[in-house]
Amino acid sequence: MALVKLQDVRKTYRLGDQEFHALKGVSLQIEEGDFLAIIGPSGSGKSTLMHLLGCLDVPSAGQMEICGYDLSRASSDTLAGVRNRELGFVFQAFNLLPKLDVVRNIELPLIYSGISRKERRARAIEVANAVGLGDRLANRPTQLSGGQCQRVAIGRALVNNPRILFADEPTGNLDSTTGEMILEMFRQLNRDGRTVVLVTHDPEVAAISKRVIEIRDGLICREYAP
Amino acid sequence: MNFLICLETGLREIVAHKFRSVLSMLGIVLGVSSLIATMALTAGIEKGTRAFMEQVGGLEFVKIQNKDVSDELFEFWNLSPGRTIVDAQAILASVPGIAHASPEMRLGARVANMTHGQRLAVVGVWPGNFHVNRHELAAGRFITPLDLDRATHVAVIGDEVARQFWPHLSKEEILGKVLTINQSPFEVVGIFIRYEREQDKRMRKILAEQAKKHAGSERRRWDPFRGKNLSVLIPLPTMFYEFKSGLFPNDSVESVRIEELALQVKDLSRFREILDQVRRTLTMTHRGVDDFELETREEWFDRMEQSISATRLSGGLIAVISLVVGAIGIANIMLASISERVREIGIRLAVGAKGRDIFFQILIESVSVAFLGGLVGIVAGTVLIQVLIVIAPSENPPLMTLNSMLISVVFSILAGILSGLYPALRASKLDPIEALRYE
Repeated sequence: MALVKLQDVRKTYRLGDQEFHALKGVSLQIEEGDFLAIIGPSGSGKSTLMHLLGCLDVPSAGQMEICGYDLSRASSDTLAGVRNRELGFVFQAFNLLPKLDVVRNIELPLIYSGISRKERRARAIEVANAVGLGDRLANRPTQLSGGQCQRVAIGRALVNNPRILFADEPTGNLDSTTGEMILEMFRQLNRDGRTVVLVTHDPEVAAISKRVIEIRDGLICREYAP
Repeated sequence: MNFLICLETGLREIVAHKFRSVLSMLGIVLGVSSLIATMALTAGIEKGTRAFMEQVGGLEFVKIQNKDVSDELFEFWNLSPGRTIVDAQAILASVPGIAHASPEMRLGARVANMTHGQRLAVVGVWPGNFHVNRHELAAGRFITPLDLDRATHVAVIGDEVARQFWPHLSKEEILGKVLTINQSPFEVVGIFIRYEREQDKRMRKILAEQAKKHAGSERRRWDPFRGKNLSVLIPLPTMFYEFKSGLFPNDSVESVRIEELALQVKDLSRFREILDQVRRTLTMTHRGVDDFELETREEWFDRMEQSISATRLSGGLIAVISLVVGAIGIANIMLASISERVREIGIRLAVGAKGRDIFFQILIESVSVAFLGGLVGIVAGTVLIQVLIVIAPSENPPLMTLNSMLISVVFSILAGILSGLYPALRASKLDPIEALRYE
């Protein structure tokens, strides 16, 4: 079953009286268990596509269905619900909350799905162990290395057991060795059956995926298996 | 996201920025403490004034005064017998709305015992005087109907009289002692309590403490109860037979003029109606001559009430203004803290927070700040009141009420909600993509 179905999706931004077409008709399907990489230079519409797939925004035109929800005209609350239950995000800049420790950062999505404090704590600790941070539970992000931070972020993305895991340049702020370890984590997650969508400008990073689509000028210009 | 989590997040944020939180709380603290203090001060003044009004007979007290008749009636003036105890008897008999009547016959007389003597105003009264003038006995009894029937030689005296004539005896011991009034012996059968205003009572305590340090520094102050504390009351018929009869052979206790006539109204809701009935009765006993007028305390008390509510209003206004200033302070700092936390809000939105989750997080944060500020303000207000008591002891004692605390808490929560609404609304309207990009 296709987790993501995009049908001729367009996104237009209005800057004053000028229109800027970020996406000019993208059609795309992502099956369950897929490992997709989206590559393209900056300004290609890659980030816009990522925002749409990540339910942070809705298309200006076209059909968008994610995890069985028709989100073509969804309200921000619906999008928030889908983000919360079905999606996990890993960002380039980690985007952890500096005032919270590892466990509290990881449990953040669960807070918004109304799960009891006890269960939140238990699941967050379980996930922290799974990403290899079992001995760092009470540390703040500032006390962790970049690789550890990104593992906290992966833990946070996985804690609500999402059907799709999004990663936006996950290795951008890491040295190559650490980046390699993080990428290996994604590969392992995919092997375990998780659908992963990776956005990057680096063809080498994209090479770990099963399927690469290249975006240029708001259109998919190439699709290949690495 | 439930309320407890919002609260936890909010409190965490407050603790994480202690200095900022204290600053934003300060306005509310000042507002609430001034609210508490002014409310306590007005409550104290109000209580003192009401107690005073009560002690002087309350609103129920009505006095009947002589009045010069108009020129047309001048010829008929001597047809009227003037104020006599017949008036009191007639009013009691025909106006059911009057609870008690108190005619008074006065005499400036030399009052003495074996050791001490002085001139005092002696008053012949009825038992009703006890209620009309709101007397309270410290010992013994008041004048009874039997005393009137038999014109007994008994006296009920005020606290000050008791102190002056028997400075070393307790009130119980004074009962049964004899005073002479113009050489005629009277047995003391009752002694009143000491009448004083709340503020004088406090003043006396303070002075007593100071007197231990430097003796003889007692100040004489105006005392509205001086007359009451110096009273010497005897049965009205005794007053007549002993001191007022014999000048004119036709005089009787019914026909001789009295110096005072006061009434106590039973039911204030029918005040006007009852006064009209009294007026009609008096017109009959005075044979149609309009030589009397009714004096009530309505105006006097109204003025007191007005000044109480004016004090309350101005105090409340100051407090509300400082609360508003406090609320603006919180709003200001919340706005600043939001622009500092755009990225955090973006992250929360990205992991699935809805706009309303963010809204309530910010709102609860500002309400928590205001609520904590309110609690601190109550403590600060209490301290302020204690300070006021020490530096201004002659005032009415400030009265801290549970009500004022509840009002303060409600007001500070309201201030928190008001100041949090706009920042919370702004935060909840943030676009997740923009917010995540924000540096």
